[in-house]
Amino acid sequence: MTSPATVDEEAVLAEIGGALRAVLDDLEFEDAPITRETRFVEDLDLESIDLVTLTSELRGRYGDRVDFPAWFASLELSEIIGLTVGQLADYIVGRLR
Amino acid sequence: MSRFLFVVPPLVGHINPTVSVAAELAGRGHRVAWAGLPRFVEELAGPEAEVYPCEIPGLLERPTELRGAAALQFLWQEFFVPLADAMAPGVEQAVREFGPDVIVSDQQTLAGALVAERLGIPYVTSSTTSAEFSDALDGMPKIGEWVASLVAELRDRIGDPARTHDPRFSPDLVLAFTTPELAGDGAYGDEVRFVGPALTRRPAGDFPWQWLDEDRATVLVSLGTANTDVGARFLAECAAAVRERGRRVQAVIADPGGVLTAESDTDVLVLPHIPQLALLERASAVISHAGHNTVAESLWHGVPLVVAPIRDDQPLVAAQVTAAGAGVRVRFGRSGRRQIGAALDAVLEETQYREAARAIGASFRAAGGAAAAATQLEKFAVDRR
Repeated sequence: MTSPATVDEEAVLAEIGGALRAVLDDLEFEDAPITRETRFVEDLDLESIDLVTLTSELRGRYGDRVDFPAWFASLELSEIIGLTVGQLADYIVGRLR
Repeated sequence: MSRFLFVVPPLVGHINPTVSVAAELAGRGHRVAWAGLPRFVEELAGPEAEVYPCEIPGLLERPTELRGAAALQFLWQEFFVPLADAMAPGVEQAVREFGPDVIVSDQQTLAGALVAERLGIPYVTSSTTSAEFSDALDGMPKIGEWVASLVAELRDRIGDPARTHDPRFSPDLVLAFTTPELAGDGAYGDEVRFVGPALTRRPAGDFPWQWLDEDRATVLVSLGTANTDVGARFLAECAAAVRERGRRVQAVIADPGGVLTAESDTDVLVLPHIPQLALLERASAVISHAGHNTVAESLWHGVPLVVAPIRDDQPLVAAQVTAAGAGVRVRFGRSGRRQIGAALDAVLEETQYREAARAIGASFRAAGGAAAAATQLEKFAVDRR
């Protein structure tokens, strides 16, 4: 989506927003702007079974460059609690650089 | 004649199945006793029950907003582990006084399993929720490691440190109060025996039966007893979805916390308590938080569900319901009347949901319930002698 030199965090956030829209489906996505501070569980009501869909959505957008399950599996309990869109964006930006 | 000691947590849904199994065993001439909180056990098993008292820690009230991994952290740190440490001396005392041939330990009272292994008593796991047969920590290995380290420390204090298996699953016999038709076709070990739910008949209480309209589909709405304060928005949206369908649907809403200010009318009946089992014989659908008891009771009666899981094992139970084709999931925190209404229409109008619910109900009845569990326990006690 972008050349290595110009990884655009805004673009990554937009892609994550699109992926989450697909996971939650548009019906349930009204009035929910996705920001860096948006929390997966507390704000979006995401459950562990939703991660399967999120994984395939991200793979469809970034291919093998982004390995969401491996990143998620590396998180400690304290990091999973309150996990935000910003933390995922930072990981993706890091992988695209 | 064998002697069985049931080790139970202070949780109604976990004690009830053991009450049915214990009654079955007693009827066959065996001796049964409990280790737990006497007030709780006697309330459910009757004042004649032989109960060896266990200390129960002053448990923290869990903040209701905790969900997901935060709820899991709280459950282990503030409930399972302190409960096990507090109960261990009482369980040991019960073993010395009662002399059981077999300990039947609830999956959430680790003290039963760990004291049994330390004292060399054969133990059986009583698993009252289907969720334990799904891997809740799939994809989150660090959380699994954290739980395993808590269990290892606990085992050093009250169990046999030489053992390494997960004490929530007896290596010898696990009584699963569900069936693979709901829990899923996993790779289950030979020690797991599916006996189906052991439903307990409860006094029905008063209900205005004349309120039910024969010409409309009746929907039950229940979030269980533990989610009263967080349920206001969701229950109000359920009521609104039903009112929009008032010509063909009516709902009985359980509201133990009195959070719903809406007045009852001919479309919606709001009550603090509902005679759930009796109503299920007349209901066409259930909207539930996917607590295991409500799900099991609904499916027993062949009634499909709209599931809105909140926390703990509920997302897993909800996933089992949808995977089995017996219901539709909505999101507890986000779904409004539109999503809830669409899900309700699906389970009421598309017959495959009811057919799947009936198939699971049939598997429950065929599994044998408390009588089958008692037979497994009798055989286990004889084999271990």
